[in-house]
Amino acid sequence: MWSNRLIAVIGKGTELFSLSYAWNELRRRAGRTIVTAIGLAAGVGLVMGIIGVSQGLSDAQTKALSPLGSVGTSIIVTRTVAPTLSTATTTTTTFGGFGGGGGGGGGTFAGGGTNGGGFFRGGGAASLNSKDSTALDNANSSIITDLAKLGPAGTKFTHDFFVPGTLITFPSKAVSDVAKVKGVTSAVGALSLDALHESGTVPKITASVKTGGQTISATVKPPVLTSKQQQTERSCIQSVIEKRFGTGGTGSGGTGTGGSPPTGGTGSPGGGTTVPSGGFRFIGSSSAINKCLTPAQKAYQQNVVVPEQTVNEVLNPPTTNTKTSTYTVAGLNPSNTTSGLVTKANLTKGTWLSTNPTTAKSQVLVTTAYATQEGLKVGQTLTINSVNYKIVGLVNPTLTGDVSDIYFSLTNLQTLSSNQSRVKEVLVSVANAKDVSAVAQAIKNELPGATVLTAKSLADQVTGSLSNAKKLANDLGGALAVVVLLAAFLIAGLLTLSSVSKRVREIGSLRAIGWSRGRVVRQIIAETLGIGVLGGIVGVGIGVVICLIIGAVGPALSVTSTGLAVGASNASGLLHQATSASVATTVHLTAPIRWFTIVIAFVGALLGGLIAGAVGGWRAARMSPSSALRDLG
Amino acid sequence: MTDTLASDTAESTSGSLLYELRGVTRTYDKGSVAVNALRGIDLSIKRGEMVVLEGPSGSGKSTLLQLLGALDTPTSGQIKFAGRSLEHESDQVLTDIRSKEIGFVFQQFNLIPTLSADDNVAIAMIPREPSREKRAARAQELLTQVGLGHRLGHLPSRLSGGEQQRVAIARALANRPEVIIADEPTGNLDSENAKEFMALLHDLHERSGVSIIIATHDEDVALSAERRVRLRDGSIVSDAQN
Repeated sequence: MWSNRLIAVIGKGTELFSLSYAWNELRRRAGRTIVTAIGLAAGVGLVMGIIGVSQGLSDAQTKALSPLGSVGTSIIVTRTVAPTLSTATTTTTTFGGFGGGGGGGGGTFAGGGTNGGGFFRGGGAASLNSKDSTALDNANSSIITDLAKLGPAGTKFTHDFFVPGTLITFPSKAVSDVAKVKGVTSAVGALSLDALHESGTVPKITASVKTGGQTISATVKPPVLTSKQQQTERSCIQSVIEKRFGTGGTGSGGTGTGGSPPTGGTGSPGGGTTVPSGGFRFIGSSSAINKCLTPAQKAYQQNVVVPEQTVNEVLNPPTTNTKTSTYTVAGLNPSNTTSGLVTKANLTKGTWLSTNPTTAKSQVLVTTAYATQEGLKVGQTLTINSVNYKIVGLVNPTLTGDVSDIYFSLTNLQTLSSNQSRVKEVLVSVANAKDVSAVAQAIKNELPGATVLTAKSLADQVTGSLSNAKKLANDLGGALAVVVLLAAFLIAGLLTLSSVSKRVREIGSLRAIGWSRGRVVRQIIAETLGIGVLGGIVGVGIGVVICLIIGAVGPALSVTSTGLAVGASNASGLLHQATSASVATTVHLTAPIRWFTIVIAFVGALLGGLIAGAVGGWRAARMSPSSALRDLG
Repeated sequence: MTDTLASDTAESTSGSLLYELRGVTRTYDKGSVAVNALRGIDLSIKRGEMVVLEGPSGSGKSTLLQLLGALDTPTSGQIKFAGRSLEHESDQVLTDIRSKEIGFVFQQFNLIPTLSADDNVAIAMIPREPSREKRAARAQELLTQVGLGHRLGHLPSRLSGGEQQRVAIARALANRPEVIIADEPTGNLDSENAKEFMALLHDLHERSGVSIIIATHDEDVALSAERRVRLRDGSIVSDAQN
C-alpha cells in the first residue's frame, strides 16, 4: 500500500537522525530557534525584494519597449536617414534637413538598382546616398510645389498631403525578400506617413523676374605688350600708314601702345556694339589698324551688355493664408490580423478592414485616442482629398512610437499618397525567440544598409531613469543579494556554533552511549534544517510584504529610447525638421512575486540552515567523548 | 512480571575475562606539562564481576573508567575487551563497541534535557534498533522495571535526582550490554536515593550477571562491591576481594 511505502521511506530517512529529538530540541530551545530563523528569514526576505525589484524593472522595460511582441513582431526593418552622408566615393555631404529631389511618389531611388542591388544601398550603414536624400527631401517638400498644382494662384483649396517624415520609403519587394530569410515566419509591409491637412488660398508660388539689359562698363587695363609684340604692332601700323600715305615723313596720330587705357563708351539701351571713342584715333580705316592690335587690346574695347531675360523663381516662403493641421496615417494589410502596426487584438470597437480590396478602399480604422480627440465614431465618414472613407472600427495600438491616427489598407494608402508599391517598414515575426539575433543579422546581410531593430537593440538604446535603475539593479542587485544572504548565513552559523558549544555534555553523552560522529553531525544538521524551514516560511512572508510595499509606493520611472526610428515624425509647417525619432514613456515600478522567487527564497533559507548545521556539526565532530565528559568536572 | 532485566541481558560466560589491561598508561598534555593520569596499570576483570575503583581525586580512576568504557585509548600498553584489543582501534569501532556492549551511568545523570524519560532511554537504541515502535516498547519496559512506568513522558527537569539516575540505568541497559560503567553514580544523590540506587544495581547484577564497574568516593558503595581496586597517583595500590 502506498502509505506503508511512504512511511517506510520516511522511516528510512529518519534513521539518519531522530526526528523527535530534533523537533523537541527546536521546540524546547524556542528562543534560539526563533532568533536563528528570523536571521535567515530577514536575509531571504530581502533577497526576495531585490529579485522582485529587478524583475519589476525588467517587466517595466519589457512593457515600454517590447510592444513588438504585442503585435506579433520580433524585428522591424526600416530605412533611416543619417545626419551625415558619406558615399562610396569621396564626396561627403552634410545636411541638417533634407536635400532636394523627388521620391515620395514615383521618384526613383538610386539605391534601387544602380549599385547592383538592394533597396537600402547607400554610402555606409544606415545612410542614404545623395539621390535618396534628395528624394526624401523632395517628398517632404512636395507640398510646396504641389500647392501650385491645386489651381491658379488665388483659388481656394482644401487638400491633404502625405509626406514620409524621417523614414524613406522603399519598394515593397523588400517584404518578400525578408520573408525568404531563414527563420522568418511572416513579414508584413507597412506604410506610415505624416498627413498635412491644408486649406486656404493657392499662393503665388512663382514670380517672373526680368533681368539683364544693363550695360556693364569695365575699365580694364590691357596687358603690357612684349617687345616683340610692340615691334610687330609698330611694323603693322607703319605698313598701313605707308600704304595710305606712302613712305616718308613721320605721321602723327600717335602710336598705339598699351599705355593709357581707353575707356569704353556707353551705348544706347537695347544692345549693340558701338564704335569706340577716344583712345586710338587713326587716319584711315580703323579696321586696318585694328588688325594690328593684339587680341587683348581688341577685347577690352568691347562693351558688354547683359542680355535681357525673364526668370520665374519659387518664392520661399510663399505668401499664403494656408491653415495647416497634422495627423498621421498608416497602411496595413487587412488579411494579416495577428502581426502588423495594429492587429485585430487591438480592435476595441467595430470591425476590422475588409480583406476585399474594393471594399477596403473606402474604409479606415481610427485610434481611440484620435476618435476621442476629433469626436469621431464608428460609422462616421472622413473625407480626404474629396474621397469619403467610412470608419469601420476603433483600435488601441500598442506599438509604442509607431501609432498613427488613421489606418487604411496598405494598397489604398499607397495609391492615396502616390507611394505605389512602396512601404516604409517591414514587421517580421520569427519562429523561435532565440533565433531573433541570427535572423536580424541575416536580414541585414540580405538588405545592406537597412536598419534592423529587435527588442534587444531597443533595450540597448534605452535611457532614462528606468534604464539607470535597471543598470543599477544589474550591477549591484546581484552583489547585494549575495551579501545579504551571506550575512544571514553568518548569523545562523554563529548562533548554531554557540548553541553547540553549550551542548558539550549532551553531545559527549550521546557519543558515550554509542552515537557516532556522523550521527551527531546529522542530528545537528537536521535541527538547523528545521530552523531553515521555519526561516524560509517566515522569509517568504517578509519578501511578499516587501514586494507589495514596493508595488504600492514604487516610483514612476521614465524611459526614453532614441534611435527608435519607426513611425512618422511630426512635421510642422512647410519646413520639416529632421528630428531623431524617440519614444518616451513612464512606467510604474513594481516588484512582482514570481514562483521562482519564492523557490529561491525558500531554498536560500534551507541552504542557510544546512550551512549553519555544517558549521555546528564540524564543532561537535571535533569533540571527543572523553574530553566532553571530562569537562563536566 | 517478566524479568526484563534478568532475561534480556547479553549472554555471558561467567568467569571468563572481560577486561585485560597490561602496562596501560595514559598521559595528557596540559599546556607544556605532561600529566601521567595512569602509570603502568595491570588489571583483569572477569565477566560478571562487580568491581569498585576507589581513590582520591586525581588518582586516575575516572581516566581508567574511560579506558574501560572505550571512550578513550591508552597512550601505551594493552587493553583487551572481550578478547579484542582496543588500544589501536578507530573511533568508529570504539563507538560501535560502546553502543553494543557497554552501558554508562554518570554522576551528573547526563540525560538529554529536551527529551522525556522514555525518549532518553530510546535514544540509546537508535544506532542499533531502526524500529521506532520497538525502541519505544523496550524503553517503556525498562523504565517500568526501574519503577518509573508512571513517569514515561516526564522531562528530566520534572524528575528527582534518584529518578533521573534510574532513567540513566534504564538507558544503560537499553542495548543489553556486557558491562555497565558507572562514574560516581551516587555523587549527586542523597543517602536515601543512593541506597536505593545501589540496591537496584545489585539486584541487576545478581539477576542478570552483567558486569558492573563503579568508580566512587563513597565508602558504602565500595563496601557493597565484590572487589575493590584502589588507585593512587595513577597506579593500583591494592586490589582485594570484599
